[in-house]
Amino acid sequence: MAVRRIELMLCTGTGCVAGGAFRISEALEKEIQKQGLEKEISVIITGCNGFCGHGPLMLVQPDGIFYGFLTPEDIPFLVQEHFLKGRPVKKLMFSPPEKKEPVPLLSEIPFFKKQLLIVLRNRGIIDPEKIDEYIARDGFTALEKVLTSMTPDDVINEITRSGLRGRGGAGFPTGTKWKICRAEQKMPKYIICNCDEGDPGAFMDRSVFESDPLSAMEGMIIGGYAIGASHGYIYARSEYPLAIKRMNLSISSAKDYGLMGKNILGTDFSFDLEIRQGSGAFVCGEETSLILSIEGRGPEPIQRPPFPAQSGIWGCPTVINNVETWATIPVIINRGADWFSKIGTETSKGTKIFSLVGKINNAGLIEVPMGITLKEIVYDIGGGIPDNKKFKAVQTGGPSGGCIPYSMIDIPIDFESLIEAGSMMGSGGMIVMDEDTCMVDVAKFFIQFTNDESCGKCTTCRDGSEALHKVLTDITNGDGKEVDLEFLEEVGNAIKDASACGLGTTLPNPVLSTLKYFRDEYEAHIKERRCPALVCKNLIKYYILPEKCTGCKLCLKNCPPGAIKGELKHIHIIDQSKCTKCGTCLDVCPPKVSAIIKVSGKEMENITGIEEPYPVKRKGGKNET
Amino acid sequence: MSDKVGAVAVLGGGISGMQAALDLAESGLKVYLVDNKPAIGGVMAQLDKTFPTNDCAMCTMAPRLVEIGRHKDIEIITLSDIEKIEGEAGNFKVILNKKPRYINEEKCTGCGTCITNCPTRNKVQPIEKTKVELEPQFKDKVTEIIRINKDRKGPLMTILQQINSTFNYLPENVLNYVSQEVGYPLSHILKIATFYSSLSIVPRGKHIINVCMGTACYVKGSGRLMERLSDVLEIKENETTPNMLFTLKLVRCIGCCGLAPAIMIGDNVYGKLTPKDIPGIIEKYKTII
Amino acid sequence: MAQLTLDELRKKRKEAQKGIYLREGKYKSKIIVHMGTCGIAVGAREIVTAFLEEIEILTEKDVILTTSGCAGLCSMEPMATVELLNSPSVKYGNLTTDKARRIFKEHILGGNIVTDYAIGIGSEKGG
Ligand SMILES: Cc1cc2nc3c(=O)[nH]c(=O)nc-3n(C[C@H](O)[C@H](O)[C@H](O)COP(=O)(O)O)c2cc1C
Ligand code: SF4
Ligand code: SF4
Ligand code: SF4
Ligand code: FES
Ligand code: FES
Ligand code: FES
Repeated sequence: MAVRRIELMLCTGTGCVAGGAFRISEALEKEIQKQGLEKEISVIITGCNGFCGHGPLMLVQPDGIFYGFLTPEDIPFLVQEHFLKGRPVKKLMFSPPEKKEPVPLLSEIPFFKKQLLIVLRNRGIIDPEKIDEYIARDGFTALEKVLTSMTPDDVINEITRSGLRGRGGAGFPTGTKWKICRAEQKMPKYIICNCDEGDPGAFMDRSVFESDPLSAMEGMIIGGYAIGASHGYIYARSEYPLAIKRMNLSISSAKDYGLMGKNILGTDFSFDLEIRQGSGAFVCGEETSLILSIEGRGPEPIQRPPFPAQSGIWGCPTVINNVETWATIPVIINRGADWFSKIGTETSKGTKIFSLVGKINNAGLIEVPMGITLKEIVYDIGGGIPDNKKFKAVQTGGPSGGCIPYSMIDIPIDFESLIEAGSMMGSGGMIVMDEDTCMVDVAKFFIQFTNDESCGKCTTCRDGSEALHKVLTDITNGDGKEVDLEFLEEVGNAIKDASACGLGTTLPNPVLSTLKYFRDEYEAHIKERRCPALVCKNLIKYYILPEKCTGCKLCLKNCPPGAIKGELKHIHIIDQSKCTKCGTCLDVCPPKVSAIIKVSGKEMENITGIEEPYPVKRKGGKNET
Repeated sequence: MSDKVGAVAVLGGGISGMQAALDLAESGLKVYLVDNKPAIGGVMAQLDKTFPTNDCAMCTMAPRLVEIGRHKDIEIITLSDIEKIEGEAGNFKVILNKKPRYINEEKCTGCGTCITNCPTRNKVQPIEKTKVELEPQFKDKVTEIIRINKDRKGPLMTILQQINSTFNYLPENVLNYVSQEVGYPLSHILKIATFYSSLSIVPRGKHIINVCMGTACYVKGSGRLMERLSDVLEIKENETTPNMLFTLKLVRCIGCCGLAPAIMIGDNVYGKLTPKDIPGIIEKYKTII
Repeated sequence: MAQLTLDELRKKRKEAQKGIYLREGKYKSKIIVHMGTCGIAVGAREIVTAFLEEIEILTEKDVILTTSGCAGLCSMEPMATVELLNSPSVKYGNLTTDKARRIFKEHILGGNIVTDYAIGIGSEKGG
């Protein structure tokens, strides 16, 4: 292998590809050729680096310099300046919003500083499509160790002692699950990797398979050895084409090397993997439903017990774990249970990946030790809320979770404290909401989601979500009644009690937690017909402030239904009877003018929009007509 | 009305007949509940859910069945046809033709042993089925897909997914063919085909636009992208443009939450969009034919 | 490809590690070639190539090569700075490819400063 002077680690995760990462790589190759540097510099295609909000991006090694928001036009200059002349280019570096000076080194960027990479240890370092690079980063050393020096029971003990709990949502101890499965007499046994990742706002599983697919696979092979299975399935979302492509590549190269298939590394242990795809049903992430889906049966969840570990796919004992759980296994084997269990809190060991998204400056994927506070995540890593808006809440746990308000920002993040706060860990989505997010609307959003995704087997889940949705719709439309709040609580609790699977038993959480922490917002909607966040369309009006409008006609030209009346240098008026509240006018009114506002509640009463436009007159101003 | 008798015959033991029988019996009349089938219950007994409330059919029926069975004033007469009705309102005479049952109803406990041991029932009764032939445009690809997957364990999902992605939907006759070749009942195939949101049994446009309505995208305003798309394409969610170019769909997260709000057209993701960007993107796809 | 045995896997790993050593951030010595406009004009590019060729034949890849801007001593170009772990950096000037190879062997591999070409010892702020 020829030696290079510089390696450019270019992210080609889905996010950066969407931003044009492949155009960047073309531009790089072209310019490198042009400068005759192709012997000295190579471009390495990596998986998601985590800082997706700043993509397309790359890391320059060995210097460790981070460049974000790249465009193909930047490339020639960058190659000449930095890679030829050795002068890093400041304007492409990361600049924190509050400071003027850019931060050149990736390791110095606050977003990366507090992270602890275990599962994502190889992200952005290896080319996920080359098995050799995984091997170079100690890939398959854990498998070696297991096959040469550990019995299956040793493996299970090690995992049990590490305190690892499932990362798919419920946090069931992984070692215990394996032990139950190993104890079953029935053969064959199966391994399943749950990569259905249905939680909206979470994309860690996608990222693991895009940036380091073999780590999860190595975990599965080890799991197969531990419970005595020789066949495994990966159940992947059909929405993740790139991840599926890399899974396929990894499987075939691992088979080439004899690291999968018959007689792995010359031992008598054999293990095969097969990919099965979902087809867009959230409930299929639930383990029993997932198994039925692979079998090609109707995927309505079924009663547990028996648990899949006792009787799973094809009626055989099956261990099903989340992607992140699997990818943690090799590290625990390599570095030992004692090392792993020192990280995290008393009940929640290790690290957890979160997708930090929504109204946050540094959106992306982070891996942090359990027990870190919400505040550290939002402010130190996430860099706070954009545009100086106020932080309102963080939603965790997807549709099963709840909203954690500002007042609880100091809570440490682990399985127990999140449940105590009325939310849950879920798969690790963390959606940050600011003052412009209406909590009633968010609750309605989630109920709409679960109502869509309910498989329809249980009356409570199917019709209960319908009932909640109807009431929430009424409230956001301004037709709410005070008794509605009690109704929501009562129905919510009934759904929790009487549904068969986790989807139903947790679906009221978003409603109950917002009711608990943001009752005032519900009340404002009901009593004052006011949406404090100015979101609910029926409760707001758009209004042009006569004292600010300069009569530029921009809003008039852009309003889709033609609801704005005006002439050049006249105060424009919105005809409320025609306005569809699309918000376009607010977007186009020049920021220096900002003449358009949204109002809600009492203030709406006098706004009718029946006046006619009139000339702009300002005291002593140049606008005078 | 003269000579009223204190008994009523309710003809038809479906859900309405059952309810009528109960109401009448509750008001003190003797009721004969007549049905030509071997059991009461009618069509509703065959349903899972009922329109429009989606209530579980069995939940609605079961209490009534039990009550009728136990009611001292209701006599159930099944397997009986009406021969003749004479008389006038208030005093009818009904003549029934009760078919034999070959069992003693008084003694039968409904244990079902006879059914499991019935020699005729246990014989396979071939149903005459016409062989399904594929239309030429589907033939090669579908037979190939079935050939590759048929011998795998649990092949149905994979087969349907591949057909769906090859033709952009699941044509009716192809499903009939799959049923015939792979041996799943059509009803089951349809259940699967309609359960998953990315499988479709109606034709869809060449470009499927998936608007992310995951949480991250939602709080960042993906609702407005949907409105704008719907405006520009003049179709609503889940509809297809008349020229079969675009289908507008909603998805729950495409895993690019860092770029919220995002949409996905085919396999391409577009992130950090505002409604302004929509017309340009659509234009681009109109030209890729 | 034939199936790997345990030993072959280990060998493969060693081999592959050489391919990614730049990313690990672990190195014993670092060569910085100054590539200002004037440096390039008088042949800094050839110096880079020479160093790279030397690195290529190493079995233990613990030397990294980077470039930086003009060092401000244009008359002495082409120049390079050599940093060994835990010892002060040394600047060399008026390099040729032969001098570069000698520096590589004597200083980087041997640990002895090539005083003939050295123009300064101790850290200076490079550009
Ligand atoms: C409605 C529902 C959706 C779920 N979706 C997922 C999912 O997308 N990914 C996942 O790993 N687990 C999901 N789970 C959890 C799985 O049922 C199961 O607990 C998990 O895969 C076990 O793996 P773990 O022990 O590694 O967490 C879901 C559960 C429910 C009830
Ligand atoms: S709780 Fe909901 S999703 Fe789960 S089995 Fe019941 S109806 Fe289906
Ligand atoms: S909100 Fe939309 S419809 Fe209403 S005035 Fe503004 S641009 Fe026109
Ligand atoms: S865009 Fe703003 S300033 Fe211009 S006419 Fe509309 S409201 Fe007035
Ligand atoms: S996709 Fe590039 S950083 Fe996540
Ligand atoms: S919900 Fe169907 S039997 Fe009760
Ligand atoms: S929420 Fe839209 S991509 Fe995840």
